Amino acid sequence: MSDPDTNAHSGEGLFSPRRLLRDLRGSPAGLAGLVLITVIAGAALFAPWVAPYGPSDADFLAARIPPAWHPEGSTAHLLGTDQLGQDLFSRIVYGARVSLLVGVLGVSVSLTIGVTLGLLAGYFGGWLDTVVTAFTNLLLSIPYLVLVIVIATILGRSLTNVILLFGVTSSPVFIRVTRGEVLRLRQLSYVEAARGLGASAGRIIPRHLLPNLIGPLATLATFETSAMIFYEAGLGFLGLSVPPQVPSWGNMLALGRRFLTTQPWMAIFPGLAIALTTLGINLLGDWLRDAIDPRSGEG
Amino acid sequence: MLRFLVRRTGESLLLILGVLVLVFFMVRLTGDPVGLMLPKEAPPEQRAAFAAAMGLDRPLPVQFAEYMTGVFRGDLGDSLRQRRPTIEIIGERLPATLELALAALAFAMIVAVPLGLAGGMRPGSGLDLAARGVGLAGQTIPNFWLGMLLIVFFSVQLGWFPSFGRDGPASLVLPAVALGFAGMGQLVRLTRSAVLEVRKSDYIRTARAKGIRERVVSLRHVLPNVAIPIVSVIGIQFTYLLGGSVYIEVVFAWPGLGTLLETAIRDTDFPLVQSITIFLSLFAISIHLATDLVYGLIDPRLRLS
Amino acid sequence: MTHRTLRTLLAAVLAALIALPAAFAQESEDELVVALSSDPTSLFMPRTSDRTASNAAWSLFDSLVWIDDAGEIVPALATDWTVSDDGTEYVFELRQDVVFHNGEPFDAASVIATWETGKDDSNDYADSYAAADLVEAIDDHTVRITTPEPNATFLTLMANDWAMVPPEYIAEVGLDAFAQDPVGTGPFRFVSRTAGDRIVMEANPDYWDEGLPKVDRLVYRVIPDASTRLAAIRTGDIDIANRLTADQVSVLEGEEDVEVISYLNDRVYYVAFKNIGAGVGTPLEDARVRQALNYGLDRFGINQAIFSGQANAAPGFIVEGNLGYDADLMEPFPYDPERARELLAEAGYPDGFEISMGCPADGYININEVCQAIASSLGGIGVDVEVDFQTTNAYWSEAQYAVTGPMYVDSWSSEFGEALPRLDGALTPGNYYTTWEDEKFASLIEEIESEVDREARAALYVEMHELMREDPPFIYLYQPVIFEAVDADLVGYQPRAAEEYFLRSVGFAD
Repeated sequence: MSDPDTNAHSGEGLFSPRRLLRDLRGSPAGLAGLVLITVIAGAALFAPWVAPYGPSDADFLAARIPPAWHPEGSTAHLLGTDQLGQDLFSRIVYGARVSLLVGVLGVSVSLTIGVTLGLLAGYFGGWLDTVVTAFTNLLLSIPYLVLVIVIATILGRSLTNVILLFGVTSSPVFIRVTRGEVLRLRQLSYVEAARGLGASAGRIIPRHLLPNLIGPLATLATFETSAMIFYEAGLGFLGLSVPPQVPSWGNMLALGRRFLTTQPWMAIFPGLAIALTTLGINLLGDWLRDAIDPRSGEG
Repeated sequence: MLRFLVRRTGESLLLILGVLVLVFFMVRLTGDPVGLMLPKEAPPEQRAAFAAAMGLDRPLPVQFAEYMTGVFRGDLGDSLRQRRPTIEIIGERLPATLELALAALAFAMIVAVPLGLAGGMRPGSGLDLAARGVGLAGQTIPNFWLGMLLIVFFSVQLGWFPSFGRDGPASLVLPAVALGFAGMGQLVRLTRSAVLEVRKSDYIRTARAKGIRERVVSLRHVLPNVAIPIVSVIGIQFTYLLGGSVYIEVVFAWPGLGTLLETAIRDTDFPLVQSITIFLSLFAISIHLATDLVYGLIDPRLRLS
Repeated sequence: MTHRTLRTLLAAVLAALIALPAAFAQESEDELVVALSSDPTSLFMPRTSDRTASNAAWSLFDSLVWIDDAGEIVPALATDWTVSDDGTEYVFELRQDVVFHNGEPFDAASVIATWETGKDDSNDYADSYAAADLVEAIDDHTVRITTPEPNATFLTLMANDWAMVPPEYIAEVGLDAFAQDPVGTGPFRFVSRTAGDRIVMEANPDYWDEGLPKVDRLVYRVIPDASTRLAAIRTGDIDIANRLTADQVSVLEGEEDVEVISYLNDRVYYVAFKNIGAGVGTPLEDARVRQALNYGLDRFGINQAIFSGQANAAPGFIVEGNLGYDADLMEPFPYDPERARELLAEAGYPDGFEISMGCPADGYININEVCQAIASSLGGIGVDVEVDFQTTNAYWSEAQYAVTGPMYVDSWSSEFGEALPRLDGALTPGNYYTTWEDEKFASLIEEIESEVDREARAALYVEMHELMREDPPFIYLYQPVIFEAVDADLVGYQPRAAEEYFLRSVGFAD
């Protein structure tokens, strides 16, 4: 990013943290997103200090208590308790850890696979490109949800599996974007010039290609993070995500659904947490996209 | 053009073949139908005999070869649980899912297009704010959670709509809203930005400069130009809705492909899971191919890429 | 588009949405609507893979004999029967005036066809028909059935599984078509089925048992979600909602139109130990350790917390409602963590040990919570249980049973009123789910199986209980209570301990 060469030639190297931060001040929506995400990430990070109870502290005598503002509620449990008497607020706070972990690590896996394969395919072309493209098209032609449900059933319930599952199944989008960008960049005069001068792939890729990928990939990664949080919740809802004892928002929704018509708060609050988190990420993503490529904005 | 058509069709066929192979072997890893289907007290001899009778004891490659032979004859196999052709079962469930997906799409369009148009025509107005809000909400609210909220509010509290099942038009309302919500958000955003784009173009400015009334401008000039991107998204939306209906169907006990898929996976009904997946993939691939061909007709440059 | 047009449009949409509920149909009094918690895979009895399916199928079919509400075997399509002295030969006299829904007469050929179509290897319940060696017609209305050896539960098994089918109709349309459009002699006739949604039946006007059924129409609606079933019974959309939980029915208190019924389920939940596979070389091989785990588990607390105190703490595999059960002789292990610690110390594990326990995630009502509660309870005596949740698809597969554990959570029901199926299934070496192999259990089970005398069998069950108490192959958890909610006007509905019910005499009070 600090490489003046890239900035000068590509006309796209607007990805400078200082500039972005300056931009942010002019965008209330983006700022709101940042604040939301900071609060949620902070709560996740400092969960033991934020949450009044441990995530699995069960108090059987205090099961299914409504939220504090309800006439039958208790101030000891702000958002009420679930059917084991576990504090909903505390579980939601700890649940943020699981959701963010799945989102961030899942996207990291996707990014790694996507950038590697996309770069190789786009840069070298040939049979490698054919294979990678075929893999991408194959995964993309099976409806995503169906693919995820089938694989989740095979893998069974564990956090690592869920992260890998989303990492791999979401990688085709990253491959496509990377490959497309690389194909475009390869034809740019300065890259061609560098190749003409005999620069090796090992030099061109990190110096000329990677920096230019950061912009489009950052936007994509942001939106994919929120998509994964979404999908993890969906899997949890179907009983296919992390093990039941892990306080994930999806698991809480699945449990809450069983009490939907009688104790609706058990389903309402975890869903609200998901909505707020994805809202924050999306606001941030919208702003990021506009900041990186002002033309793509919606005005 | 013919070459383009043949090549794209050929690619799609290869893709379908790939899906068949991938899905066949993947689905075989999801569990053991013998253990799940037979009563617990079934003795080992009965288990073995059952596996043999269902053809589950043979090596996987043999099963696969047999399956592929069937596929070429148009036979996707029989459901392990229901003992009848999976195609027949899918055929029974498809209308419910199509009905739901179409209703969801209709809901999304009825709300999204006017709102997007209105918002785009007057950026910064109250309606524009509403449009942006709806667009964002569609992206951030999980549809299965929305479905649950709708049940709590409209079925349990108000008693306006049934909370489950497919039982006349009233039962369609809540699931269609929940399923169409995300698409609605996307359509609002799309319409709005398309309007903004078109409004920037010269001839609209000219039309307005000539003193043509705002409503005429929007109907005669903006709408046709906005229609193209919207229509192109609808095909993709529809495929998404078919696949995405799993959650909504589960929440509302809607007797469509989604609930069928969910129980088929739980029951390790291999042939059925396989056929549903392949059917949905086929649908997606066909839509994709059709879109490509249409674009190829419109824009010859695309044929080369 | 101006604000006004837009507003008009939105208003129109809203108005349409609000007007729609009026399209609701009224439910007639002569129609019985019953919720099914899953869509029956088949209505052909040998392929009804679960209780929900067989319950629905029994509205269409009859058996030769029935079990009445008192547990006695009574005549149905057979008016009378005799058993040979050696207990291997049954002769049934068949009712003369019975016809199938399609007009085909019911006779000895039907019994033979039922047996022959039933014992096919590809059927889920083939075993139940294969219990007979030979079925032959003596004349049109007399059949002889032979079993390979004396079978104490043969009549029960016939009552539970042998649904009489029409041979000519099956020969004509084939078994697959038969399963789609089933024809029986039962109280209701099949009308239509919408996959995943509903099964519609109508009263059989020629039903042989006069005065039955009590309603004109019977509709089964598929509602997998318990909370949805609860909502549907409250709105009156259905008349019978089964498989609810204690906390769910608690909200029905004070509702006039709905009545809550509950009954003990003949099912035992347990933690199984392994002395084969993953169990070899673990502390579990010592009987004192297994006793300690039984003393150290707070099954009463778990019951209180998760089942609102409504389940029974299980004394063993022979539970309330079973032959041989005796409340005085059979008490659950008391919760005694001190005794547990002593036993562990005696066995050489004063500081406890670590162990893995498999759990079928979402496999049963509240099972996820039960597994976590077991782990936390046993943690109290120093045994560190790591819960290994698996999806049910994987859990009940041979491959998984080989590697899971050395402890795992499971449950076993019985529709016999006897504990035999679970004893045999879980303790006879060589059986699929037998992971604790011990000759003394196996030989006693064999003895029970071939003992035709009820009293003698009851005594053997008591002996079995004591054996399984001293050297426990399981941690006994609980026997659940089933909660259902029904229309308050409903009469004649009597679900039984294995969740089986018959709708032939169910109707509405005037």
